[in-house]
Amino acid sequence: MYRILEKKELAPKHIMYRIEAPHVARKVQPGQFVIVRAFPNGERIPLTPVMWDREEGWIVLITFVRGKTTMRMANELKPGDSILNVAGPLGNPAPIEKFGRVLAVGLSAGIVEVFPIAKALQKAGNDVTTLHVAPAPMAILKDEFTESVSRHIFEGFEIQEGWGTKEIVAEIAKRGAEKVKELLSEEDFDFVLTVGPAGAQKAVFNVVKEFGIPMHADLHPIMVDGTGMCGACRVMVGGEVKFACIDGPGFDAYKVDWDELIHRVGFYTDLERRALEEYLKSLRGE
Amino acid sequence: MAVRRKLIKERVPTPERPAEERIHDFKEVNLGYTFELAVKEAERCLQCPANYAPCIKGCPVHINIPGFIGKLVEYRDDPDKAVKEALKVIWACNSLPATTGRVCPQEDQCEMNCVMGKVGDKINIGKLERFVADYAREKGIDEELLFEMVPKIEKKGQKVAIIGAGPAGLTAAGELAKLGYDVTIYEALHEPGGVLMYGIPEFRLPKSIVESEIDKLRKLGVKILTDHIVGKTVTIEELLEEYDAVFIGSGAGTPRLINAPGINLNGIYTANEFLTRVNLMKAYLFPEYDTPVKVGKKVIVIGAGNTAMDAARSARRFGAEVIIAYRRGEEDVSARIEEVEHAKEEGIKFEYFINPVEFIGDENGNVKAVKFEKMKPLDERDKRGKRKIVGTGEYVTIEADTVIIAIGKHPNRLIINTPGLKVERGRIVVDENMMTSIPGVFAGGDAIRGEATVILAMGDGRRAAKAIHEYLTKKREGKENA
Ligand SMILES: Cc1cc2nc3c(=O)[nH]c(=O)nc-3n(C[C@H](O)[C@H](O)[C@H](O)COP(=O)(O)OP(=O)(O)OC[C@H]3O[C@@H](n4cnc5c(N)ncnc54)[C@H](O)[C@@H]3O)c2cc1C
Ligand SMILES: Cc1cc2nc3c(=O)[nH]c(=O)nc-3n(C[C@H](O)[C@H](O)[C@H](O)COP(=O)(O)OP(=O)(O)OC[C@H]3O[C@@H](n4cnc5c(N)ncnc54)[C@H](O)[C@@H]3O)c2cc1C
Ligand code: SF4
Ligand code: SF4
Ligand code: FES
Repeated sequence: MYRILEKKELAPKHIMYRIEAPHVARKVQPGQFVIVRAFPNGERIPLTPVMWDREEGWIVLITFVRGKTTMRMANELKPGDSILNVAGPLGNPAPIEKFGRVLAVGLSAGIVEVFPIAKALQKAGNDVTTLHVAPAPMAILKDEFTESVSRHIFEGFEIQEGWGTKEIVAEIAKRGAEKVKELLSEEDFDFVLTVGPAGAQKAVFNVVKEFGIPMHADLHPIMVDGTGMCGACRVMVGGEVKFACIDGPGFDAYKVDWDELIHRVGFYTDLERRALEEYLKSLRGE
Repeated sequence: MAVRRKLIKERVPTPERPAEERIHDFKEVNLGYTFELAVKEAERCLQCPANYAPCIKGCPVHINIPGFIGKLVEYRDDPDKAVKEALKVIWACNSLPATTGRVCPQEDQCEMNCVMGKVGDKINIGKLERFVADYAREKGIDEELLFEMVPKIEKKGQKVAIIGAGPAGLTAAGELAKLGYDVTIYEALHEPGGVLMYGIPEFRLPKSIVESEIDKLRKLGVKILTDHIVGKTVTIEELLEEYDAVFIGSGAGTPRLINAPGINLNGIYTANEFLTRVNLMKAYLFPEYDTPVKVGKKVIVIGAGNTAMDAARSARRFGAEVIIAYRRGEEDVSARIEEVEHAKEEGIKFEYFINPVEFIGDENGNVKAVKFEKMKPLDERDKRGKRKIVGTGEYVTIEADTVIIAIGKHPNRLIINTPGLKVERGRIVVDENMMTSIPGVFAGGDAIRGEATVILAMGDGRRAAKAIHEYLTKKREGKENA
């Protein structure tokens, strides 16, 4: 059981939890993740430690509320409560080397996962620009980024009437690709890193590819155990089957089979929607 | 001297729920003996002398089988006493009888050479073992027996870390705790139990049984740290700084995949993923439980071991039509006979001598069919005594919207990457004392054997505990003499 020390809404739908998890805090490196199970009948979901204190033994997780689990966490968990399971750290650390000028792109909620990596890259002597693409106003972690990297850019847009998740995600992909194209055309970068929805990452990759710049992508396939036991997270990288939880989650973007990944993350969409709908119904007392 | 009595040739059957009822739920299929029925079956045993009894030789942990069966008959007027005495005999060699009684491949082990087989049915040793354990648990006799043992434990003041809470790790932990060591289990998942918890379904091994075994361990003072992944959360090197010895029981959890086009199509599960979703995460109760699973109308399970039967029978319980596709023939099916029979009763079809070569998908990346090559057997046999098979160049395509791959597993990767740990073909290498190439680090179960059985894993756990005890005794005495 892992106690919630602090809980805060950082922006609409972005909830921060500071959690006592000394076993993770002691070891975690930028790029690694944890698996969280919050409720007795709950799912195991991967989340990323965004900040941590090794001595005090806590980690910060930031969830973007999108389905039943993240919504239940937002609704039901209070400071002082405990989270049943926080397993980790899992996965491999991101490459923290001296690349030179780095562009680190956080698409939508992916920005929170960019933070520890970007910070470490800057510390390792790189000149890091971070780019956050999301509907405005969602200036999440703005001060933290400004303090930690050379430059932080927020690329926001207005949500149009009648847009659903699909249209928003499409807009994130479009805006992300355009902004990255602009940056890469005007300036020299040595390394690009992205985190975010697979479709948007692919759009950004297609731009980066034109410039031939090395690119690292943190992938988010569906996971169950996170320890290499189930194979749910398998992705095709360089023509080989890899398990994102133990071989990744970060891979060379040039080798990833993006279309397959996009299919795979959408496999449960109908059931996820049903779970959310029934949960919302139960909230309304139906 | 045993009294001479009439040979009763037929087994006393154990009640089972009918197939048409049980395919609609995940409740246990076999209901087990009552005390009366158990005694009736026990009476059939010829009570072969322990030094000769072939059943004892066939059991990998050498339980004194006529010994425990005899107690049921001897104290037939006092069921509680009968069970307690029988349990004592079993516990001397096996601490998880409710589990092994249900899942051991008895036909290849204890029951294989039972002398009753020469004149009639072999004694139903597995179901008798299960009965003793179940009765004891229901009546609290097991706890009573445990507490009679606990006060005698003399604390040794040394600490042992166990990696993995499967049958190997749980057994090692229990034995070491009884010897007075301070034992902590590191388990990666949120529930201890290993395959017993995430792999073997509820209808074959109710999870409450596993939980009760783990409860007893906790009462013996064993600490269990879930969510701790050795190799990530903590390394073996770090464990050795804190503990006097380490036991690795991390199992063979890495699923083997088929190297064929389309393997990553949606709807293709490894048996591990499918069974974990269904068992550990209780996806059969979705959306009451949050974890989803998708079972289509037509399911193909590839493989023919216990894992394949479990996956097939679980899928059947979601209402699917299920085919088990195996590249060899019926004679080579490695699952327990009881599971194969149950699978057939439940309407699962078996297709032999077909080997998958391609998974065919639709435009959305979902699997819609599997292309198989037809195989044919040769007279020549391989090292394991199985007939060799070759492709015929002929193909057959079978439609399916869900495919479950159950062709085996490798040992867990996170552990075997430990520097200095000798590994051959993915398996941790141990010496005759179950010690690995790292002094003070022992290993057993599927981690050293590849895929094996529950009872072999337990046997390893027990032997390793003994070896660790010897190792730590020397260490203690070394210190005292220094
Ligand atoms: C390595 C990794 C790190 C992540 N870090 C974060 C993070 O720091 N903050 C954050 O908000 N989200 C993070 N995610 C995504 C997060 O796991 C999903 O948001 C979460 O599972 C959604 O659950 P839900 O029930 O609320 O939504 P659902 O309605 O169940 O799903 C919404 C979408 O989330 C994804 N998803 C659902 N279940 C899983 C699962 N078991 N594993 C992976 N993805 C899933 C799917 O793409 C799905 O379409 C991370 C994912 C991965 C793989
Ligand atoms: C579906 C299925 C059905 C089966 N049916 C039968 C049957 O009917 N009869 C039979 O005898 N056998 C059966 N088996 C085989 C049997 O279950 C195994 O041989 C046995 O469980 C092996 O025990 P173990 O303790 O070595 O490993 P496991 O049971 O695999 O347990 C290993 C444990 O270690 C944990 N672990 C792994 N890596 C780490 C790490 N790095 N850090 C911390 N913890 C870790 C795992 O999470 C797991 O809990 C079946 C197996 C499967 C998969
Ligand atoms: S442990 Fe297994 S093999 Fe041994 S007697 Fe029991 S059921 Fe038979
Ligand atoms: S071999 Fe059969 S008859 Fe003989 S003791 Fe064992 S179970 Fe009884
Ligand atoms: S999440 Fe199960 S193997 Fe990666």
